[in-house]
Amino acid sequence: MNIVFLILVHWLIVLTLAPLFTGVITKVKAFFAGKKGPSVFQAYFDLQKLFQKSSVYSSTTTWIFRAAPIVNLAAVLVLSLLVPVGVLKAPVQFAGDIFLAAYILGLARFFMIAAGLDTGSSFEGMGASREAFFSCLTELALFMNFITLSLVARSISLSTMIGADFPLSWKLMGPILLLVAASFFIVILAENARIPVDDPDTHLELTMIHEVMILDHSGVDLAYMFYAAIIKLFVFAGILVPIIFPIQTGNITVDMLVFLGAMLVVSIMIGVVESVMARLRLNRVQNLLLIAFALAFFGFVVKMWKG
Amino acid sequence: MIEKLFQLPWHVPFGEFSLKLDPLSFIFLIPVAIMILSAAIYAVGYMRPFKATKSMGLHIFFYFLLSSALVLIVLANNVMLFLGAWEMMTISTYFLIVFHDEKASVRRAGFLYFVMSHCGTFLLILMFFLMAQNGGSMNFNVISHSKFPVLLASAVFLLAIVGFGVKAGFIPVHIWLPHAHPASPTHVSALLSGVTIKTGIYGICRVLWMVGVLPDWCGYLLLIIGVLCGVMGVLYALGQHELKKLLAYHSIENIGIIALGMGVGLLGRSHQMPYLAVLGFGGALLHVVNHALFKGLLFLGAGAVIQKTHTGEMDQMGGLARVMPWVSLLFLVGSLAICGLPLFNGFISEFIIYFGLFHGLFYLPLQGAFSCAVGIIALALMGSLALACFSKVYGTVFLGQPRHLKEWPQGERTSSWMLIPMLFLGGWCLWIGLFPKTMANVAFSSGAYLVHTDLSRLPMENIFLPLSFIISGALLFLALVVGLIILRRRLLKDLRPLPVRETWVCGFSQVTSRFQYTSSSFARLIVGMVRTILFFRREGEGVKGKFPPKVSMRSSVHDASEEFLFKPMFVFLTGLSRKLDINRIRHTQIYLMYIFLYLIFLLAWKLK
Repeated sequence: MNIVFLILVHWLIVLTLAPLFTGVITKVKAFFAGKKGPSVFQAYFDLQKLFQKSSVYSSTTTWIFRAAPIVNLAAVLVLSLLVPVGVLKAPVQFAGDIFLAAYILGLARFFMIAAGLDTGSSFEGMGASREAFFSCLTELALFMNFITLSLVARSISLSTMIGADFPLSWKLMGPILLLVAASFFIVILAENARIPVDDPDTHLELTMIHEVMILDHSGVDLAYMFYAAIIKLFVFAGILVPIIFPIQTGNITVDMLVFLGAMLVVSIMIGVVESVMARLRLNRVQNLLLIAFALAFFGFVVKMWKG
Repeated sequence: MIEKLFQLPWHVPFGEFSLKLDPLSFIFLIPVAIMILSAAIYAVGYMRPFKATKSMGLHIFFYFLLSSALVLIVLANNVMLFLGAWEMMTISTYFLIVFHDEKASVRRAGFLYFVMSHCGTFLLILMFFLMAQNGGSMNFNVISHSKFPVLLASAVFLLAIVGFGVKAGFIPVHIWLPHAHPASPTHVSALLSGVTIKTGIYGICRVLWMVGVLPDWCGYLLLIIGVLCGVMGVLYALGQHELKKLLAYHSIENIGIIALGMGVGLLGRSHQMPYLAVLGFGGALLHVVNHALFKGLLFLGAGAVIQKTHTGEMDQMGGLARVMPWVSLLFLVGSLAICGLPLFNGFISEFIIYFGLFHGLFYLPLQGAFSCAVGIIALALMGSLALACFSKVYGTVFLGQPRHLKEWPQGERTSSWMLIPMLFLGGWCLWIGLFPKTMANVAFSSGAYLVHTDLSRLPMENIFLPLSFIISGALLFLALVVGLIILRRRLLKDLRPLPVRETWVCGFSQVTSRFQYTSSSFARLIVGMVRTILFFRREGEGVKGKFPPKVSMRSSVHDASEEFLFKPMFVFLTGLSRKLDINRIRHTQIYLMYIFLYLIFLLAWKLK
């Protein structure tokens, strides 16, 4: 099949499914809070609203501030091509695509931080500083996971590593995969600004990271930022799913249903974590991220031990 | 590529004027040529304000002397010629560094450089004579054909690591570097950081080329040095407030990345894995070129900034993107490149080194695989810390609002003598980032030459295929950016003109530039986490009470090897020499007699 066609289909699916994923998390949180909560389609409405709004700019800002949402969304869209969505294989796979994945997110992060500092406000500066700090630790955990998974799958292509082509065997590798999955779950929470690292719902407290960094963005720019965050969460969950549900029947419909069910499970997991936990105190976050690193490291040690 | 030899008669004992152009010197010649040219053009604009007060002749003379020394070093094929050129480089660099010799700090920095370099050279002379004695010739080619016993090879390797390491800036013998870079005029800093410190890397590569068989631990040692320099370099950089000093510490980080690649390459060579060796050395050598390009660019940009603001303190800058748009754009290019982000050249070399590390992880025996894992983690950490550091630099220097003035004076614009070389270097960064094939090929063939293997027999398509994917990914990314810009335009079409307001600061009525995060506050979290390693010190107290009086506070980060290794050592040496001084003979006549007696001794020895 034509590669251009594959890419477009992939984007179409990611772009349409991703907001639903966020909606489910919100619904779960509402359920735990004993509320009815917004519809699972709320993210679509928000996006539609934001895309129609005008943007307001601060007189302090430069073009960097305007470029950040664009770079962010473009980077996340490139990232989404490296990750399989259920039966849809990742359209772009090659040895070493994990580095492209990690570093294109770095590119987006650079522009986000710069845009935060561009506003000249201490709120954004604070968020930017924290983002820079925590992402260093998250990156450590992420690469440790990459190392362990690459040893398990003998490959440095993301799809192969997470078992999208050949399911990873929990029978042989159970302890390793458990450690990696736990570690990667923390990475997902940290990278996507979820509780217990960050709170996606507010920006007005001094402890927020992602939301406060984009405080001054509005209208289309905010829509881009918002969409990028949604897709990033979806894509990261899409990396976790093949690891914890290594099920491939060969039947396209069944597999797709399994995938959607698994995504549902992951979103419920995130929702539950967000409901039952409070956000960690800022000086404790680094411990959580180092735990994620340690978990992945133990996975690596077990793998080296077993050979 | 074939070697090209060039010889001239030269009547120096043991010396011959023999030049050789081989793939190894070729890859170093590229950054040397580019940087000499760019820095020279830049200097025309940069040195203009000093023309009235300083004599330029001497400076220009030493600049050309340094240029020719650099070229000679990478081409020399003889020990005497090499050492001569090496000394020429050290001395001319010294005179270039102390251009602003009216300042005591500059003189001190120059002196420190001079002393450190000569200590290194002393070890190098020792090393070369050991090698020449074993090889029976002073000619590099002849030496490379001789077999080295293990003990001798190890000794040579260690001497090379320390002796060349001084020049390259390996921790802990790097301490001259963060002093010399800020002290010298900017085009000299660019040349120092871009090329001069690479001659140390070149020296190590040349020694590795000549000493074909080394014990296993040499590779591990290089890996450890790489991890140490890389991580500590970037952490020190994060704690700096001075722009050029920060860039100097980043040079140490990048030297660490290069050493990491060389370590992998050496591990590959000692385990008879030529593919791994070529990946490691190729990545390292490509990073040599890349680092020269983007660090040169960053230094030239920093020089333009300092010329405008008359200070190097980042916490006094801000909002410069409005008054110097071109410099800010080019500095952004350099920043993205040095963070190793896609689209630019830094990513390509780091990608190759990552590739090598993962290859080592899969195929090396246990301890090798473990070291490679450590290397990968360290490289990832360096990448994200560099990102934190350069987003801080870019954000505090160019974005936001000026911190101490209301507005920067529009005044004089950056001269195009300074902009053109920056544009040139930025173009190189982008070219290698988007079309890496040519340069990667050159780097791989030099790597293959270094490990004495045939490139055509190695599965190099395994690395070129991913590289081509990365380029398409980068191009796709650019296309997406363009598409999203167009989409944004269309969505905002009916809503223009867009309203412009003040930054929303959650209800404060008067926004001042003092609200902004400074570079110190930005880095506080990271520096705070590793404060014990960095010997973080804070003087002054915080605000107290409801109506606090004016307080001042300063924080600084201290280099452990400077504070705890070299300072005590120098104190000890000074004390020792003072003690010896008591017994000094204070009559010139007795010295003359000593000389006379020595001459008689020599005469007697010759007559015997």
